[in-house]
Amino acid sequence: MSFFGFDSTLPRDRGHNTRAPGFSQAADPFAGPRPEDDDDALDFEDTYDGLGDQLDETDDVFNDDTFGDDAGPVTKKPVGKDFDFFGQTAKVSDAINEEQLRFSRQAPSSRGPPTTSTFPQPLPKPARTGYERYKEPDYVPDMQVDANLWGVAPKQPAQAPAFGSPMNPGIPSGGRKMMSLEEVEASMRAQAKKPAQPQHPVQQQQSAPQQYSQTPQQQYQDYPPQQQQQQFSQPQQLPFQSSGPPREEARPAHVGHPHQPVQIMQRSQPTPNQPIAPTAPSQPTQILQNPNRYSAEQHRSAPAVQHPVQHPGHQSRPSGSRHIITHPQQLANLSDEERAAFLMEDAKRAKRNHKIFLLSKDNGLMTPQDKNFITRIQLQQLVTATGNPNEHGSDPSLSEDFYYQVHNQIRGGPRQHPGQPLSNFAQTYLFQTGGRHGGLRRQARGGDNHMQRMEQQVQRAVEAAKNKPKNKQLVIEGSLGKISFSNAKTPKPLLNIKRADSAADTHRPSKAHQVGVSGSDRKTVLTDIENVYSTLMQLEDHERLMPPPLENDDINPELAGFHIDWREKEEKLNRKLWRDLKVHEPIGATTTHPFIAFLSFSKGKKCIPRVFRHITQEQRTTILTMIVIHLDQLDVVRQGLLQPGEVQLNSATRENIELFSLAVMHTLFGYLNEAGLDIVTGLLGLILNINIDVIARTRIGVSMLTMLLSRAELIKQAGSNEREWDQWVGIYNAFFDALEPTLPNIFPGTVNTGEDVYVWQFLAAIGIGASPEQQQRLVMAVKDRVMETVAHAKTLPTAMSSQRLANVNLFMRSIGLDVELLA
Amino acid sequence: MADVDDGAAAPVSEPLDLVRLCLDEVVFVKLRGDRELKGRLHAYDSHCNLVLGDVEETVYVVEEDEDEDGDETVKTIHKKSEMLFVRGDSVVLISPQGQS
Repeated sequence: MSFFGFDSTLPRDRGHNTRAPGFSQAADPFAGPRPEDDDDALDFEDTYDGLGDQLDETDDVFNDDTFGDDAGPVTKKPVGKDFDFFGQTAKVSDAINEEQLRFSRQAPSSRGPPTTSTFPQPLPKPARTGYERYKEPDYVPDMQVDANLWGVAPKQPAQAPAFGSPMNPGIPSGGRKMMSLEEVEASMRAQAKKPAQPQHPVQQQQSAPQQYSQTPQQQYQDYPPQQQQQQFSQPQQLPFQSSGPPREEARPAHVGHPHQPVQIMQRSQPTPNQPIAPTAPSQPTQILQNPNRYSAEQHRSAPAVQHPVQHPGHQSRPSGSRHIITHPQQLANLSDEERAAFLMEDAKRAKRNHKIFLLSKDNGLMTPQDKNFITRIQLQQLVTATGNPNEHGSDPSLSEDFYYQVHNQIRGGPRQHPGQPLSNFAQTYLFQTGGRHGGLRRQARGGDNHMQRMEQQVQRAVEAAKNKPKNKQLVIEGSLGKISFSNAKTPKPLLNIKRADSAADTHRPSKAHQVGVSGSDRKTVLTDIENVYSTLMQLEDHERLMPPPLENDDINPELAGFHIDWREKEEKLNRKLWRDLKVHEPIGATTTHPFIAFLSFSKGKKCIPRVFRHITQEQRTTILTMIVIHLDQLDVVRQGLLQPGEVQLNSATRENIELFSLAVMHTLFGYLNEAGLDIVTGLLGLILNINIDVIARTRIGVSMLTMLLSRAELIKQAGSNEREWDQWVGIYNAFFDALEPTLPNIFPGTVNTGEDVYVWQFLAAIGIGASPEQQQRLVMAVKDRVMETVAHAKTLPTAMSSQRLANVNLFMRSIGLDVELLA
Repeated sequence: MADVDDGAAAPVSEPLDLVRLCLDEVVFVKLRGDRELKGRLHAYDSHCNLVLGDVEETVYVVEEDEDEDGDETVKTIHKKSEMLFVRGDSVVLISPQGQS
């Protein structure tokens, strides 16, 4: 039954006390420190204190099953390092259960005398076993339940291993059960460097006592038994024994400490050199300790008293106190004080145990592997959710993690370079997870491994995130649609509606042109007007934000920067406004130029004064030019013509004209007052090309002409260079010639209406600039109207009469006459 | 006129933008309760609250003739207001009036 290749002959066969069977026999495979000779058995006898005799031996029959009687051939197959305890155990567990049933029926009493293992067994010495504290006789272990310890033994939540063998550093089975798989592996790896490996982690996996009789079969599969003494070896078990993985060779059987037979039993964390072991039994209270426990736990060298069926009660009763009294007489032996103390303690302990039981009810539902697996999944999700760390948006998402921030602050690790955040991020979580599993008494080997794996996982995830296409959409070849990526931070947009302001603006001219070609309908014009108003409001708002003026000597770079920015913005808005006004649309492309259509709306007219405040002088000239060119197309001109038979224009048109003179003409007048003669001359020349007859018969047209003529007169009076003046005179003469036929008709309506002030003003303007010959022609043309008006004025009340005459006088005086002369 | 022109749709990205085009124009507004308004639109908001100037309001009232039972006559009541605020929840329809 020795699978390390040493002699597994039982001590009993060599003179050992046969009344003390149990673990001493069963543990033979582990009875490492035993040389070939039988003297070692005597050594065992010397150290054995006989406590095992007091133990229940009724179920010893299973010991062989438990501890492996079926020692294999003596071939010393080295043991490999790579175990798969858990998986192998799972594989064989079913078979084991079957075998146990069969075994218990077949030979319940048969107990094969195992041969004493003569092979020395090395006793691994972990640096720290966790049981050192129990060397102190007075040590009362605390009752804290470490959940980590239950990772593998979920069925025994309250059975704290720490208390299982206060005296025994090496517990054969009981203590092992408490160790998690990782701990076991860690210790095993730690010992792998040592040549010998007597431990059987598989056995440690066996948490249920009824499995004790079955475990050997599993254990031996990896460890070729030296002696096949298993009496109950079933045929189907044999394959297990011989089917050890070839990597077993890697672990040679080793000669250990022959002088410490008690250590044979140690499987978990053997500390052979601890002197406490032999003295433990001498303490009476130790005997009483947790009688429900396996005998193996009570005493390592005691004969194995195997309870085939584990007491359900003891699972939640850790033997934390040394004063556990199971028998009434023991209680009776105590003094009253002690008894009271014991009872109190017992009550307390029961209460606490119950609490622990409740708390730890669900402990160990998940294996550490499960936990790690889930942690990895979560980590992966974290990494993918935050996306590529190098992407721009990852910082906010990291900063949203409050707990990470706090943790980072506590650890004081500032992020230095872009690649760092994620690794920090990952490490934070990795550290936590690793810490959770890496218990205090765990020799971080296993934990390191998991951490490494998780780190690798995170790195892989990060790589994947980096390689993920940057753009939000993926167009698969041949597909009709696009696939949008989405994550928590940038959800997939279900609707993609853009208010493409800027984009629309850039495409505006061409679009508008197309529309213009198709006809500048009312809606288009309205849209243009609204655009102008929007831009106007932006400009006006921008005006408010104008930075304080720069001082000449005080050079403030910041302020200068503001100014530059401000001007840039203003220019941009100005260009936008200019585009919106559509002044530069090609002339003649449409029936009505967009800008003229613009002016046909009252709100379009109203915005002109506001527009003029924000545009340059050149732009103002352009607008004026545009208006003059299209003067005959202006709605106020077209509709301003009195149809024959009409006495008065309709109210809407009159309103329009009024508005136009107020808004547009006034603005233009203000501009023209600063314009030079060349501009005036040019404008008048433009007017020559259009229908002067129409213009001169409308109020707006006449006003425009008056404006130009009076401006020219003002410039003349202020003095101007000869050449420009000559130009002006030439244009003026042409203009006068063109106008002369219309002059008799320029008066609106009849004399009675009295709406002819502007005409008299116009005539005055003409008369001032006219040559004497022209003046004569002028008088001739309007003479009738003058006489009519004067005659009419006489019929009117004084106030109105003087008003009319004053109007006429405007003209008369311009040509050096006076109404008084006529009277 | 109020149709969505594909060419010049840039500033018209929502229905109320069409109402915006009617600013300072004469509009026809139909209200709940058999009322109609015609006036110059001075202002509006997202709730279709309107401010109208020079409003002409028409209220249609159905009256049953007492003499001949069953017959109904529709009476119209005209009101004029210089300025009117219309709460948006009663607005059924806003229509530009064209060159009125």
